[in-house]
Amino acid sequence: MLALEMFRSVPKTVLGKAAGGRVPMLLTGVAAPLRLVTIPPPKVERPGWVRLRVLLSGICGSDLGMLSGKTSLYFSAVVSLPFVPGHEVVAELLEDCDDLPAGTRVVVDPVLTCAARGVDPCPACERGETNRCSRITVGDISAGLQTGFCHDTGGGWSQQLVAHRSQLHPVPDGYADEQALLIEPVACAVHTALRAGVSAGDRVLVSGAGAVGLLATLALRELTDAGEILVVAKHARQRELALEFGATEVVAPKETLRRIRRATGAFQLEPEFSAPYLLGGVDVAIDAVGSSQSLETCLHATRAGGRVVLSGMPAKADLSAAWFRELEVVGTYASAHGEEAFAKATGLVGHDAVARLAKGVATYPLHRWREALDHAHSAGRLGTVKVAFDPRRNQ
Amino acid sequence: MSRPGFVLEVDDRTPPLLVHEGLGFRLEEFPLGTRVIYPPEPIASIADVDGAIRDALLDPVDSEPLPALLFPGMRLTIAFDDISLPLPTMRAPDLRGRIIEQVLTLAAEKGVDDVELIAANALHRRMSAAEIKHIVGERVFRSFWPQGALYNHDAEDRDNLEHLGLTEKGEDVEINKRAATSDLLVYVNINLVAMDGGHKSVGIGLASYKSLKHHHNAKTMVNSRSFMDHKHSEMHSSAWRMGRLIKKHVKVFQIETTVDNNIFPKPYDFLMKREWEWSIKDQASALAMRRGLAIAPQKLRHKMFHDLRSVYGLTGINAGEVEAVHERTIRKVHEQQRVKIEGQSDVVVMGVPYLGPYNVNSTMNPILAACMGLGYYFNSYLGQPVVRQGGVAILYHPLDEGFNTLTHPSYVDFYEEVLAESTDPAVVGEKFEQQFATDPWYVHLYRTSHAYHGVHPFYMWYWIAHALDHLGDVIWVGGDRRAAARMGFRSASTLHDALEMASSTVGGSPSITYLHNPPHLLADVR
Amino acid sequence: MSFWRDTVADVRQVKRGWRWGHRAQVPRSAEEFVPPASSSIYPNDWSRTPWAAAAREVAQKVGLEPVFRSQVRTQVSGLSVLDGLTGPVIFVANHASHLDTPLVLLSLPDEWRRRTAVAAAADYFFDTWWRAVGSSLLFNTLPIDRRGGTLSATPGEVLGDGWSLLIFPEGTRSTDGYLGSFRMGAAYLAVEHGVPVVPIVHRGTFAAMPRGVSWPSRGRRQLTIRFGEPLVPGEGESARELAPRIKQAVARLLDEEETDWYASLRRSAAGQTPDPAGPDIAQWRRIWTSSQSPAVGPDRPRAWGR
Repeated sequence: MLALEMFRSVPKTVLGKAAGGRVPMLLTGVAAPLRLVTIPPPKVERPGWVRLRVLLSGICGSDLGMLSGKTSLYFSAVVSLPFVPGHEVVAELLEDCDDLPAGTRVVVDPVLTCAARGVDPCPACERGETNRCSRITVGDISAGLQTGFCHDTGGGWSQQLVAHRSQLHPVPDGYADEQALLIEPVACAVHTALRAGVSAGDRVLVSGAGAVGLLATLALRELTDAGEILVVAKHARQRELALEFGATEVVAPKETLRRIRRATGAFQLEPEFSAPYLLGGVDVAIDAVGSSQSLETCLHATRAGGRVVLSGMPAKADLSAAWFRELEVVGTYASAHGEEAFAKATGLVGHDAVARLAKGVATYPLHRWREALDHAHSAGRLGTVKVAFDPRRNQ
Repeated sequence: MSRPGFVLEVDDRTPPLLVHEGLGFRLEEFPLGTRVIYPPEPIASIADVDGAIRDALLDPVDSEPLPALLFPGMRLTIAFDDISLPLPTMRAPDLRGRIIEQVLTLAAEKGVDDVELIAANALHRRMSAAEIKHIVGERVFRSFWPQGALYNHDAEDRDNLEHLGLTEKGEDVEINKRAATSDLLVYVNINLVAMDGGHKSVGIGLASYKSLKHHHNAKTMVNSRSFMDHKHSEMHSSAWRMGRLIKKHVKVFQIETTVDNNIFPKPYDFLMKREWEWSIKDQASALAMRRGLAIAPQKLRHKMFHDLRSVYGLTGINAGEVEAVHERTIRKVHEQQRVKIEGQSDVVVMGVPYLGPYNVNSTMNPILAACMGLGYYFNSYLGQPVVRQGGVAILYHPLDEGFNTLTHPSYVDFYEEVLAESTDPAVVGEKFEQQFATDPWYVHLYRTSHAYHGVHPFYMWYWIAHALDHLGDVIWVGGDRRAAARMGFRSASTLHDALEMASSTVGGSPSITYLHNPPHLLADVR
Repeated sequence: MSFWRDTVADVRQVKRGWRWGHRAQVPRSAEEFVPPASSSIYPNDWSRTPWAAAAREVAQKVGLEPVFRSQVRTQVSGLSVLDGLTGPVIFVANHASHLDTPLVLLSLPDEWRRRTAVAAAADYFFDTWWRAVGSSLLFNTLPIDRRGGTLSATPGEVLGDGWSLLIFPEGTRSTDGYLGSFRMGAAYLAVEHGVPVVPIVHRGTFAAMPRGVSWPSRGRRQLTIRFGEPLVPGEGESARELAPRIKQAVARLLDEEETDWYASLRRSAAGQTPDPAGPDIAQWRRIWTSSQSPAVGPDRPRAWGR
């Protein structure tokens, strides 16, 4: 089976972290700890598990972060190297699995919970908060927070993987594969929107207009009573999409603070040697980038007592505002069974705007992974929202 | 001897002509037949300035002499024009300071104790202490500033504004309380252009937003044809109505001065010379300056231009009753600036220089540049505009200076938010003016920092309403493409490209008029 | 790189636009606004400063004199008249060629030469900066307005500063080698400032380098120059009275050149000095006569005959 495998390589990771910013070529070249290999497909050893043939598997921002050494080492304890990345997966069943017949097209909820690990449900899983499962390193399979970070299950960037029945969500027939691919990210966005705790009429800032930001905008618009939604977008295509997805206003990164100041009538302060901030601002800010800059913008543009949602994998930032302005900083990771995020996401993906977005998904065969990663790195500038592998293709 | 202004017709003997563009200039070869309007050379100025001031105070027009108006125990307020006049800033000592000193000398002789001095900056930015000191002079500054008796007018200080009533057209008249409740209000003005002075001094300079909005709006501005002709300016009619009402409440003693147009001191004097009279030295200066500017960083260029101080000659001083004084002032201004022109043309070319009234010691942002070109220069006419209805304006300015967030915080938002939505002055005013005018942060910065009022960018945009209404197209030569597009204009890299672009509006061989400005000129178009 | 390219473009534009190397022109429509040309004359006060004098000394001694001597032969007579004089004088000479100025200057004793300025037509010698600088530096010229306008330094001031003046009262070079009519300037200055007038006549420059020729003709032509007795303006004498005396002195000197000193004196006393304007004959015969270099007898023994 052909697969892309991420392996441990200290020099590559260090090089990527050190020089990747200046020489982006390195990140998809010599500094990428990824290789195309032929490995035996993962085996099904327990009931409830099933083999899947991958149709499409997306490249997520967290994958890129990991491959370029930017991800915090915090996560090194919850993965098992080497592994096949890819947690946004559309696949079809190679054999029957409980109620699902072979050939059923499914999307995978990548979180490897107590159910998949064959252990008694932890308190979180019992409550249906599967994304908060505390048993992600133990049980039948090796450590791994998700499919795509676990050695035993395989991942989406290959021809085959295995998954537990609890992870599978059938795809309605009318959806294209590319549309189905977006169900997992939309499910995360649904979770984000629910975590944001938006009250009716709240003014929301979404910082970032990549896949995460755009889909969060969609989820906020569809599932909450948010008033104004301000989206920070860098590139032209992102601006158009953000408006399609329900943004009230789209602003450029450097205008953000001023625009929010104007819209909310807040006061802007200019501290010495650091970024300006507002007294007053939006009710909820969602960081959908995960850079220090974006996070600080969110912290600095939120009113006292407001909420800052970390939707991207966060970077270091000055948390003074969180203390001084009593902000609620909440994380949002993956999605939970209990809130039926996948069911809601499946509904949202039927949205016209998403269908149009799905048409723009760029697919690559596995062996062109360097091109695919490079495309994903500069997706925003190239007007692409999602880049994916199609292991069926050999050209 | 001063030569009059005249209309040059570019022929094959004409050297390239100087065109100002922001922090620099270029030498432009205009198509043959282009009309170039040159302002008159500096007219004769008064040698004995202090003597002339004394004469004006002791022998005023339609008023008792100043000493007769002063008495012990009175409330005397002296208001004066702010830093937006004259342009460029006058080399010390400033005329206003010299006049105020004499007024105060008379007041001291008469035993007047309660004196306050107010800079009539309306919604302009507060001036810094150094800027005020430059205007009033060291002696006055030392005597009044530490006591808080010399300060900037604050149009947002509700406690210190006095509503004087409504004009017959229902316009609120609300001015500075101290000024309104004085026994005598002396106003010291510098009448640089025909727009300044008259009832505009007190009625606008010391007014509040509530009062200003009656004439500073898109509708009034479109109907001001032009601002430089106060008898045909809707804005001035409104100010005159307000002025007459003010006159019923407070005695105003207006002192108006006019200066010559000797704006560029050595070694920049070649910028004012007629190009065919440039000596080898002038040519070398021009070349050296152009090359120097080309490598100088923006900061240095900014400093070089903005540090320039002009040595003006006083051409006239009149004191007394506002309207009678202004009549005489306008005559002097016309003498210095008026040029007679036969007929309109299809295209008007204007070079926007580094300085306008609202960016003294600050930056000329795109909105101010547009206002300078399409507000000031375009409107600087008597009779009819230099360019015909539906014609094209070609302006020179790089539009790349960015925004100064200290002085123009609301401009940035206006540029990014308002102009992105619409560039129509009426629409813009309708939808956004209130928000900007009442934004507490802008108000705060206006009152405590050195920021123009939140509503000020709207006024800039109303300024150009008449031009936008009149013109078929506006093209910026050498202008930043994005900035021009944001304001609803186009940009071209050279004059020839601009004319090519204009050809779709005015045809292939349009008549062109270039306003050789600065120094300021007032086109009297027949 | 683009900076230099732009610089070249800028210089080219200015060079073309302002027609470097040509006279400045005024656009037709601006002509009526041109102020009357009061002074297009380059000031040359600097040329009488010590530094300029030092430069001139070098230019005359190292540059001018060797070239001049290599092209023409000269015979100087009557220099002794200067012996009794100290202060500034006005030298008055006939004018037939551009060689006249170097001839007079180089014939003067050094201490006189260094303190002598040459009155030159402002409209010709001072209309461009390079001619102004060149002639000031080489000949110590002083602009004189032939049409009567204002000048930066008047000849009177220069005389007052102790400089002698060389004036060609004809105001222009002769067309045929004979003397033209005299203007009043020299006489006026002499009376005004009370300085003596030293008449000078010279012959042969017309033959060596007439009008329209820019270099002395080949063959080292002979030039002669003769200084006459100084004329001191009398008490109460007016310029109108002095002018004929000057002209008479020049005419007599010319006669002396033709004949001899005593004969010329006799003829002068008898009022028979020939008219220096020459005989009333056809133009070609006048030029024919003048283009003959003067013959010089061996007036003093030489070690090696030249």
